[in-house]
Amino acid sequence: MKSRWLSPLIYLVCSLVGIVSLLYPFFLPQGTTGAQPGLQRSADMPLMLTVLLGLALLVLVYEVQGQAMNTKLIALLGVLVAINAALRFLEVAIPGPGGFSPVFFLIVLTGYVYGARFGFLMGVLTLLVSAILTGGVGPWLPSQMFTAGWVGMSAAILRPLLLGLHLKGQGEEIWILAGFGAFWGMMYGVIMNLWTWPFIAGPADQYWEYGVGIWETVQRYASYYLLTSLVWDIVRASGNFLLILGFGMPTLRTLRRFKQRFTFIYKPTPSPVAQSNLSG
Amino acid sequence: MSTQLHTWTWLTWLAATLVAISVTRNLFYLTLILLCLLVVYSFIEDANQRGAYPFSLLRFGILVSVLSMLFNMLISHFGETVFLTLPEEWPLIGGPYTLEALVYGLTNGLVLFGILIAFTDFNQAMPVRMLIRLIPRAFFPVAVVISIAVTFVPTTIRQFYQIKEAQMLRGQRMKSLRDWLPLVMPLLVGGLERALQLSEAMTARGFASAAPKGGNTAHRLAMVVSMLWVMAGWVVSTRAGWETLGLGLILAGALALLAALWWAGRQVPRTNYLKEKLRTGDAIVLMGIVVIGLALYFPFEWIDRSSLYYSVYPLLQWPDFDPWIGTALLGLGLPAYVIGLRKR
Amino acid sequence: MISFQDVTFTYPGASYPALQSINLEIPAGSFVLVMGLSGSGKSTLLRCMNGLVPHFSGGTLSGTIRVAEMDPVDASPQVMSRKIGFVFQDPEAQFVLDRVEDEVAFALENLALPPAEIRTRLDATLGLLGLTALRERRLDTLSGGERQRVALAAVMALNPSLLILDEPTSQLDPEAAETVLQTLVRLNRDLGLTILLAEHRLERVLPFVDRLIYLDSEPGRMLVGDPRQVLAEVDLVSPVVALGKYLGWQPLPLTVQEALPFAQLAQLPESSDVLISDIQATLPEPVLRIVDLHVFYGPKPILKGVNLSAQGGEVLALMGPNGAGKTTLLRSLIGLMKPEVGEILLLGESIAGKNTADLARLVGYLPQDPNALLFADRVLDELLYTLHSRAHQPHGHRQNSSADTDTSNAEKAAVMLAQMGMADLAEAYPRDLSVGQRQRVALAAIMVAQPRLLLLDEPTRGLDAAAKQRLADLLQTWRDDGHAIILVTHDVELVARLADRVAILEDGVISAQGKPVEVLAASPVFMPQVLQLFPDAGCLTPQQLINRLRST
Repeated sequence: MKSRWLSPLIYLVCSLVGIVSLLYPFFLPQGTTGAQPGLQRSADMPLMLTVLLGLALLVLVYEVQGQAMNTKLIALLGVLVAINAALRFLEVAIPGPGGFSPVFFLIVLTGYVYGARFGFLMGVLTLLVSAILTGGVGPWLPSQMFTAGWVGMSAAILRPLLLGLHLKGQGEEIWILAGFGAFWGMMYGVIMNLWTWPFIAGPADQYWEYGVGIWETVQRYASYYLLTSLVWDIVRASGNFLLILGFGMPTLRTLRRFKQRFTFIYKPTPSPVAQSNLSG
Repeated sequence: MSTQLHTWTWLTWLAATLVAISVTRNLFYLTLILLCLLVVYSFIEDANQRGAYPFSLLRFGILVSVLSMLFNMLISHFGETVFLTLPEEWPLIGGPYTLEALVYGLTNGLVLFGILIAFTDFNQAMPVRMLIRLIPRAFFPVAVVISIAVTFVPTTIRQFYQIKEAQMLRGQRMKSLRDWLPLVMPLLVGGLERALQLSEAMTARGFASAAPKGGNTAHRLAMVVSMLWVMAGWVVSTRAGWETLGLGLILAGALALLAALWWAGRQVPRTNYLKEKLRTGDAIVLMGIVVIGLALYFPFEWIDRSSLYYSVYPLLQWPDFDPWIGTALLGLGLPAYVIGLRKR
Repeated sequence: MISFQDVTFTYPGASYPALQSINLEIPAGSFVLVMGLSGSGKSTLLRCMNGLVPHFSGGTLSGTIRVAEMDPVDASPQVMSRKIGFVFQDPEAQFVLDRVEDEVAFALENLALPPAEIRTRLDATLGLLGLTALRERRLDTLSGGERQRVALAAVMALNPSLLILDEPTSQLDPEAAETVLQTLVRLNRDLGLTILLAEHRLERVLPFVDRLIYLDSEPGRMLVGDPRQVLAEVDLVSPVVALGKYLGWQPLPLTVQEALPFAQLAQLPESSDVLISDIQATLPEPVLRIVDLHVFYGPKPILKGVNLSAQGGEVLALMGPNGAGKTTLLRSLIGLMKPEVGEILLLGESIAGKNTADLARLVGYLPQDPNALLFADRVLDELLYTLHSRAHQPHGHRQNSSADTDTSNAEKAAVMLAQMGMADLAEAYPRDLSVGQRQRVALAAIMVAQPRLLLLDEPTRGLDAAAKQRLADLLQTWRDDGHAIILVTHDVELVARLADRVAILEDGVISAQGKPVEVLAASPVFMPQVLQLFPDAGCLTPQQLINRLRST
């Protein structure tokens, strides 16, 4: 009975830490005051928060893993992450404006069909594995993993929503999913860009000014954002939108077809003669 | 393991590098650090057939530094050495352009570049399987997933080409987005079928589903508590004057969390049959790191630590340079020395 | 060691049981072969023994099973895995890690054995299976045969007392299959390991088998016993056994070796007359002509001057050892590899400069894995897709309106399915079908566009005897319709039954070409069993020999 509230608590705490770590420029009241113009802190602040984020991610992954993993799902996740990581190679190979990322397509759809925990792990591990394989393990990786995990996890919320609206199986289902993908395409960029902002933009007492409220910070970030990653993010969002529209229906069908075979759990009914029945 | 340094040595080195980079804004020191990292990179590249990094590291680093320089110059109008002035009315970029802002941007770019190279060095030095073995036991199911994924990526890519060829011969052409469907679907379905076969094979080999025996409520509770602890520490550290206490709290909380993870890992009955040995090379690198730590933090009188806290603003001047710190920082290049030794 | 009592099993959602009232006793130390067509329940039977059925698959199981003094239904596959090792069919879908020694040590690590003991067992197991030289290699650099040996090592590391293998060689070429099977024989002989093997390719392993289990397609009919006794009652057998049964040789010979003494004693009239399928009218222009083809792979020459042609209305079998260049030749034919020297002419026109999609209207290609083609929701859609793609060819004929095109496409598809006897599968999901059915769907999807030339790359992998027969019938039908067919295969008996001409590609050149009876008789590697027994009879298949005997 104790553990009933433990799980939501863990999700809450970790998500809180995650949000603070990712969005800290908006929350931080002040860089430093004092004689030393806290310039030496402005590099370790992002790093420290990345460490914080990494810790939260560890706890969250441990939590999700404990609840969700049996052999079949491990194999399924492994293979799907492999496909997604292979797709990520395409991202590097495609010429033209960056930003387009084929990985969110599967993250959203698997989260939608197989549940929040699966979607979370799908997002986290896709980013991790493709980083390992391309040698791109970097300090931004925890942020990427966290955000991608959130993409997958939140996709699962759509399921009861769309079911309640009786849209499952209809054409509207795909449009809503596509819009969802586009939304996250933009949000992912917005969040990721925050990480590099302190490095590129002005000194501590410039964008974190005592008394400068959230609104001012938002404005400053907005101007930075417009100049930097807006185009990238629009490309990514449109990419997600088109991918889901184009391939969503057949993929959903396939994922659903296999769902039964992967999620069944064997439970024997006790009887004198060795007899076993499919359950659930 | 062509670089022959222990996994933990590399990890410590990486941590030391990151700390060194984040501690200072002194251009001299930063340049020194960067040089060491680049030297290590070139030595690793020689020793390793891992395959080149997708894009040129140097070019990317220069790009980032230049971008940072320009951006800072355009947006930030502080500083006293003005060399150009645009009308103030212009929205963002109006106002004096100062040399200080330029240099500050450069510094920032170099910091980012340094972090990049540090991680690249680490990546190139560690083979994938060693990276996977680093994953703590508490995350064993996830580690298996990652192993499977890493193992299956080459297969997936190969399959993709097979599918592409086969479909081409049905007359399929890549004109619209829809034309990719016959490529993507067999890949997906094939993958799902493989996953079923794989899980069957794993089951038949005794791979138990990874539910922890005896439940893990206590472990999770410990983790949440540590997490809250860390958060509290961070909040405290942002208050002026409480920084050290906050830092200490964060450190303690992080250690508690790692301890909880280790404790959770004890539940997973597994052993590791690979035994990495610590050698002289490891000792050399680790000692160099200890020296750096001493130079940066131990209150020796003859070390002028204020040179670390150099600031470009308000007036641009040459930074100080303490030879002791400089020499200590050279220790970051020791892996290159060790690798070079091994090659003979 | 193994005991089944009145075991009946039905898969979830199935209308009839996969296994019916099975009774079985197998003593320890036996080498048992399980035979039967696809769908007869072989896999199910094997999986009952280590608990995968019903734990992994679901379904209803009744009866008692005892294996290695444990009850698999009661215990779980994980527990059973300590005594039972199971090797599966696909060498690509069994591994979790990417290096040989890591993979073999994986199960041992999971048992939390002390590292020193793991290393000892690892060395022993690798040595046992001859993998010590390969231990640091990455798994994806190994061949199929080596990979199956690694799969074997991975289960042998646990020191099981029973080894079960479900068609382990069906994806391998004959040489690799041979190695794996010999390893099994050695394990049985030297270690006394009980082995249960389900296979289609029986010939090499039959002499070592203690017991044969034959499962009929009708559930419930099962034959168990001495191999010779069981084979005497089974229909689809190897040529040697078929001849032995017909000619009444006792004891029934299982291999060519055993049959030779009988054959030498048998008196057969000399062959002097022309064989069946030898009538050839004047030949029209060949559909395919390859002239002095040189193809390089990087700096290495693979094809060193190949001259070959294929006619309409003819099945040409292309055989040769691994690495000789058969795959390269096929890939050149479909435009994926460009020749350095030489020409490939399709219906008189050179294919140089054309890309693969252009060639699709003339050439149909069935890849080794037909699953690569299947992506649609219905069998019918697969055929329609090909037709639709083809309609957009630059030189394809266009109909007047798209509605007309759709109707005529639907008709063409329906006709094709009916011709292949698959009309009832039109609405089925292709990936749910059996291996043989899937291959036929892929073939239908290719042939519906009526290409003049059909290329098949190792189509018999994983097929049972009945599916092979149906494939052969199909190919003969198309041949009679005038298509040119090139068949790349290792399967000598299929070639003996089907081919009109045979070409052997060795070391980058065609070393032999001509009528099957001449080419196959001259090559010791590719000689069908009938020819090995009766070199002068001029017959390639047992049916031909039997016919000749009857006519005299």
